[in-house]
Amino acid sequence: MRSGRSFLALVAWVVILPCVLHARQLAIITDKTNTTTNLTAADLVKIFNARSRNWPDGKLIIVVVRDPSCTEMQLVLRKLLNMTPEQASAFIQAHHEAIVVAESDDAVLRFVSTSRGAIGIVDLYSLTQDVNVLKIDGKLPVEQGYLLRGN
Amino acid sequence: MTRNTKICGTTLCGIMAALMGGGLLLAPVVGMAQQTASQQGNPEDAVFPLTTKSPEARRLAEESLWLSVDRAERKESAEILRKALQIDPEFAMAHEFSALISQNSADQLSEQEKASATRNHASPPEQMAIEWLQDAADNKLMSAIPKMNVLLRQYPHDKRVVWMAVLWLRRQTQYERAIAVYEGSGIADSPGLMNNTAYNYAHIRQFNKAFAMMDQYVAALPNDANPQDSYAEILRMAGLFDRAIEHYRAALAINPQFYASQFGIADTYALMGDQVRARREYAIGFQKFSALELQEIRWRTREATTFIREGDYEGAGRAFQAIADYARSRQNGRAESDTYRQMAIYQQNPKQALIFLDKAEAVARKAGNPLKIAMVQELAQILRARVEVDLKMGKKKMADSDVARLAKMSESSGDKQIEVEYHGANGAVLFSQHKYDEAISHLEEDPDNPFSLRLLVVAYQKIGYSAGAKWASEILANLNDPTLEQALVVPAFRKCYDTPACSDHAKAAPLHR
Repeated sequence: MRSGRSFLALVAWVVILPCVLHARQLAIITDKTNTTTNLTAADLVKIFNARSRNWPDGKLIIVVVRDPSCTEMQLVLRKLLNMTPEQASAFIQAHHEAIVVAESDDAVLRFVSTSRGAIGIVDLYSLTQDVNVLKIDGKLPVEQGYLLRGN
Repeated sequence: MTRNTKICGTTLCGIMAALMGGGLLLAPVVGMAQQTASQQGNPEDAVFPLTTKSPEARRLAEESLWLSVDRAERKESAEILRKALQIDPEFAMAHEFSALISQNSADQLSEQEKASATRNHASPPEQMAIEWLQDAADNKLMSAIPKMNVLLRQYPHDKRVVWMAVLWLRRQTQYERAIAVYEGSGIADSPGLMNNTAYNYAHIRQFNKAFAMMDQYVAALPNDANPQDSYAEILRMAGLFDRAIEHYRAALAINPQFYASQFGIADTYALMGDQVRARREYAIGFQKFSALELQEIRWRTREATTFIREGDYEGAGRAFQAIADYARSRQNGRAESDTYRQMAIYQQNPKQALIFLDKAEAVARKAGNPLKIAMVQELAQILRARVEVDLKMGKKKMADSDVARLAKMSESSGDKQIEVEYHGANGAVLFSQHKYDEAISHLEEDPDNPFSLRLLVVAYQKIGYSAGAKWASEILANLNDPTLEQALVVPAFRKCYDTPACSDHAKAAPLHR
């Protein structure tokens, strides 16, 4: 049986999906028990840079993202992290204990909805009722000025 | 799911357990298992219910849906649905289908309200569908989307649910998601869904997949004109004009009364640059077919646009004014207002543009509209055009003030189209102020508008985002819509596309059309 470490590495790099560009809105999601409802853009940057590792109640934060080469992540990289896909890939590899790469929005939703402390990013139109959607700087994805909207 | 952190005692182990239990690692395997389960008749074959006290009403509703979805026979479909609702006026999903099928905004609104009012007579899944589409109609996307996805999970292979989802997602311009829903459904016997999916592929410019889907659609309905007409339109979108005309002619050979194909031929000649031939084909269409009023105005507008394509602004003025006069004679205030707005858009003299915008606004306000939102949408379009004129005239404060009005209209209405107008206008203002990063975030919300796309190309270049600039340039240079906006922007852009010396002109483009 594989060790946990190599198992996660496999998760992180086994699937690279081709992506196309078009305008979209991304939602930041957490599990239903998470009491946080809003994050500032600065909070998000800290979480996705693995500098914030715990929620206010002490629970560990697990970040779930799509592949860095994917459209959704390009928007995140450009608007949130200021990293190239290559830098992000290296960063995730270096922080694989805290950041998980999922192959689809459904996989992100399944993981976040069943994992306390998880936080993920999905396309707005993939949302289900199994997760909470966080505001960023007081705004939901459908509101003007929301951070994670665009190409 | 089982999450055995006690035994593992580490975060990593917890993550692994969650991955396994949550299906993250197993996602590809799960996908295959679902397909197999479906083939074996497991719950994946769940059928979305249609609750009515009358079996005949249900049969009629199903027949209506088949006609609408798979045969594109909307008129006949609507008639049959009306019969079903006469038999059972409390047939909630029939009201919902009626709202979805209708081309008339007032009917859509009225039928959606009836669906909501009668939903207590329906089963829980039907209630969920009605609430999803009611939320969507009320622009409550955060509530609508999860409900749609609940239904898609419960009925991933049900044609009715898949059709509702694909149709709605396409209207939301969520082409990739619509494709994913269709491809994941495994439905292979619905010509209508093939047609819809082909257009979705075309919108994301995956034309090979669109053509493959169209081949299936044509093969499924070899004696229908619509597959040939759709194929032609997608070929035209791809810039394959000669083949597009062949397919339009094939559609007319199957059904000589399929007037959309005649006008499609005319549109295609206009895009090919042969305006004389285009006008001849429009004339044949107007002579042969007594089209509906709004459709005639639409094609008359395209015919008038051929003069713009030739640079004959006087000819365009006469043609557009004739349309405005015709619309007024038919008491079609919205069409009259919209025609004046379009006349403003192509004016080279901004003062003249303002005169037309004043006319457009006066007509829109005087005419009113049975649907308040339709009038607000028209006013928003006019206001956006005002912002462009403000910028041309160097009236920066006025532009800011107009954008602020648009922002208020957008916020108070919650309407997607009005929001897009706001973003396009605000993007143009921010661009003129050289605030490219901020401009981009707005212009990206208006990706189908050639004016915004043109600004986006330059804004991306300005911030050093060359991949974005290349992408936007390719989209714009290959835009083959027979619209006034396309005529005003794309041919000129194409001339500059591969010419670095043109870049300065492109930068100035928003101020000089």
